[in-house]
Amino acid sequence: MNQFLRFLIIFLPILIFVFFAKVLLVDEDIKFSNFESKSFPEFQLNDLNGNPIQAKSLNGIKLINVWASWCITCLVEHPFLTKLSDTNIQIIGLNYKDSDTKAIAWLQKHGNPYLFSIYDPRGDLAFDLGVTGAPESYLIFDNKVLAHIQGEMNQTKWDNIFLPLIKKARQGS
Amino acid sequence: MIKKLIIIFSFFILSIPAFDEIVYEFEDSLQEKRFYSLISEIRCPKCTSGSIASSDAPVSRDLKNKVYELVLAGSSDEEIKTYVSERFGNFSDYRPALEGTNYFLWFGPFIFFSLMLAMFFLKRRI
Repeated sequence: MNQFLRFLIIFLPILIFVFFAKVLLVDEDIKFSNFESKSFPEFQLNDLNGNPIQAKSLNGIKLINVWASWCITCLVEHPFLTKLSDTNIQIIGLNYKDSDTKAIAWLQKHGNPYLFSIYDPRGDLAFDLGVTGAPESYLIFDNKVLAHIQGEMNQTKWDNIFLPLIKKARQGS
Repeated sequence: MIKKLIIIFSFFILSIPAFDEIVYEFEDSLQEKRFYSLISEIRCPKCTSGSIASSDAPVSRDLKNKVYELVLAGSSDEEIKTYVSERFGNFSDYRPALEGTNYFLWFGPFIFFSLMLAMFFLKRRI
């Protein structure tokens, strides 16, 4: 009995320590990302120019970036997205709760890193995707959502979260 | 003096309270009860800790409207919660389902507490 007690006295604090270390030492970027794999919701929306979007335009590896002209943080991540669009990554915008005229003007002013932008003024597709605000980014691979981050996209998140998944997806296909 | 008072009180009289809140109307009181208990059990995805009932974030407003629609359409509580968690993750449910790692969440504190109690009493007996 005494031995059991001694074991507990040593073991319990270690258990607590390991538990908290595990919780605290996880990279924040990864902790607040969602890797639940689900299929991309069906939708019927136009792009910003009023052309209906074909489902097949979402095939392959795509980065979906939720943005709006009213969104301040979107301006912060914009240079990074622009840099990214110069590489072989295709970015599709999801224009969230915005007006098309404002959105188009915003793109003209700040540059357009997007292949095209899905115009979602009521946030219908965004709701089905689980968007909580702007900016947010999704990695999709053949209509499957592989990762979801909230907040600004940057080099660290890209390197830590998105690049490994893209490599894996490319190897698998 | 009276002039001043008139001016002051005219502020009160002329100011119309702004009712920005959306008023939800229900067919019966059961629906209403279900709606309010559901929105207090669904976590606001944009807040650190708070239900969508307590939040006026745009996404919470959308969620409340969706829950309202689904309640009126006759969906069960279970269906509504699944609908929300399919989109916003398990995180959205303030009462996590009894499954998988959630067992630890539900029973962990009790197991831990009993271990502590056991230690306490065993130590006293020695």
